[in-house]
Amino acid sequence: MSSEPDGEAAAPGIAPRRLHPAGIAVLGVGALRGLALPLGLAFAGALLGAGGGQPLGRALAFGVLGALLASAAGVVAWLTTRWSVADGTLRLRTGVLSTKEVDVPLSRVQAVDTVHGPLQRLFGVRGVHVQTAGGGREGEITLPAVTPADVERIGAALRGRGGAPAEPAAPAAPRAERRLGRRRLLLAALTAGQVGVILPALAVVPQLLGEVWGGDLRTAGRDGLRFAPDSAPEWILAAAALIVLAWLLSAAGAVLAFAGFTVARDPDRLRVRRGLLARREATVPVARVQAVRVVEGLLRQPFGLVTVRAEVAGYAKEAAAAQTLFPLLRRTEVEPFLAALLPEMADGLGALEGPPRRALPRYVLPSAAAWLGAGAAAGVLVPALAPWALLVAIPAAALGAARWRAAGSRIADGRVAVRFRRLSRVTVLAPAARRQEHGMRQTVLQRRAGLADLELRVGAGTRGRVRHLEAVAAARAFDALRRQRRVR
Amino acid sequence: MLAAGPPTATPEPSRHLAPAARRLWRIEGALAGGLALAAAGVLQAVAGGTLAWLGWIAAIALAVLASVAVPELRWRRWRWEVREHEIDIRRGTLAVTRTLVPMLRVQHVDTKRDLLQQWLGLATVVFHTAAGANEIPALTVAEAGQVRDRIAELARAADEL
Repeated sequence: MSSEPDGEAAAPGIAPRRLHPAGIAVLGVGALRGLALPLGLAFAGALLGAGGGQPLGRALAFGVLGALLASAAGVVAWLTTRWSVADGTLRLRTGVLSTKEVDVPLSRVQAVDTVHGPLQRLFGVRGVHVQTAGGGREGEITLPAVTPADVERIGAALRGRGGAPAEPAAPAAPRAERRLGRRRLLLAALTAGQVGVILPALAVVPQLLGEVWGGDLRTAGRDGLRFAPDSAPEWILAAAALIVLAWLLSAAGAVLAFAGFTVARDPDRLRVRRGLLARREATVPVARVQAVRVVEGLLRQPFGLVTVRAEVAGYAKEAAAAQTLFPLLRRTEVEPFLAALLPEMADGLGALEGPPRRALPRYVLPSAAAWLGAGAAAGVLVPALAPWALLVAIPAAALGAARWRAAGSRIADGRVAVRFRRLSRVTVLAPAARRQEHGMRQTVLQRRAGLADLELRVGAGTRGRVRHLEAVAAARAFDALRRQRRVR
Repeated sequence: MLAAGPPTATPEPSRHLAPAARRLWRIEGALAGGLALAAAGVLQAVAGGTLAWLGWIAAIALAVLASVAVPELRWRRWRWEVREHEIDIRRGTLAVTRTLVPMLRVQHVDTKRDLLQQWLGLATVVFHTAAGANEIPALTVAEAGQVRDRIAELARAADEL
């Protein structure tokens, strides 16, 4: 994207203006989404014919009512929204009943995302999300419909801002670029599921359904759809079906989020483009990248596959997809990838110093005991599960052992690497001087065993904690980190 | 001298909190203990029997620990130090935690006082980084003000380098 020369010359400012009229549609659809739950309930009520009459007619009436409400909300929101850029500040005024006025100094802008969703494409406009460090979800200023020319102007204003690192007047062609191919996309989608997270949740689902039905689940099942399984194998089959469903859903979600994923490096910015239905483009100043997280999911690690995420202040509360620097790489490709696109963070993934062998029981026993307890409780609640439920202690113990193997840290050449596992194995790479804080923790029990935890915080969201290191090693790392003061 | 975490080459922080911090924590502990005793009373009324006895024992133990033992131990363990380039904190009773925050990362610093602290003439210094907030709780009001100003000054100096 090259900026227009005349846009650079003038003091960058944008007079107060409304969104593009397409904003009515985008805002209306947003309002419709807010109305979805009550409308859906009304719909279902009408179709099930709670009050008699003609169910279809009533459903239609509710649909029309919803559409009218949404369009009215869209028009009102559009009429009351104005934005501008003046005196190095991006301003947004919006709202009727409770007005909201947001001022963001351009020097505080962490990144600008543009969204090119189906509606926005229809009208040839863009959505713009402005991210600041304090940020919650979605961006602090969200402009749902802006003309491409105005997007350019916002970009020009940001390039001309004070305070932030100076950027060259004419960005050269990208120095490096990586694209996610179709095969990789498919692979990324198939391995996207966090089955480990879903599993315990799914175990509870039949129980919950029983609560909702209010009566005896099995009787209800026989009377109705024969939904409830009778025996342990049936329970397991039902759970497996749900897992497959969840897996397919997560795969579809990954395709939507990551199709056409491209990351390109300009001299001092990263540009990330992605998305199937809604094309998103995020521009992140390299100086704002605090750390890189290399995530090896349970489904990916056996194949040596990883996801690389960037830790950028302002994105901490965003969805994982928004933080993705590349959805799928081989483990061995990570270092060359970083060296090409983000040499500031490039570092190896190996050669970390882990906890000693005698720390292994401390990793295994607590999680095994906790899951044994949970299994026993599940067995009491659902007698059909009783003998099976206790088996969860085995994967729990295995997970504990895997956590022990994964844990480790390294401080060398002004860089710090910390690796730990919850379910996925995560390696945090950062220049040591970029840390927000670091620390050490030792419980009474650890003191007797000569062990200690090492803690590291980088960026806003990444907290790395390596548990049960040799106390001496933890203290050495603590001291070594302290010596790393200057940002290079 | 209580053992306090693995020995480091980094000098240990040396400053204590205000002595009145103990009184503050004792009062807070007594309030928590009172709640526990009330809960035990409810248990007695609802269930009775052995369960209620266990409840009373647990509540009394908690009340004594929270209002007598823990405040003293916590106060003896709490150490802090503000240096030119960093803030050093060591705290904790059963688990000793040592935290080092580079001055360069301090975004802003403030002091706060809740009702109890106002009554006891205490204040808490809170300093924020992009990763969250850390506290030096329960200093005397005068000292808290000095510490706040000093951190603000050092953080500004670190920024200008």
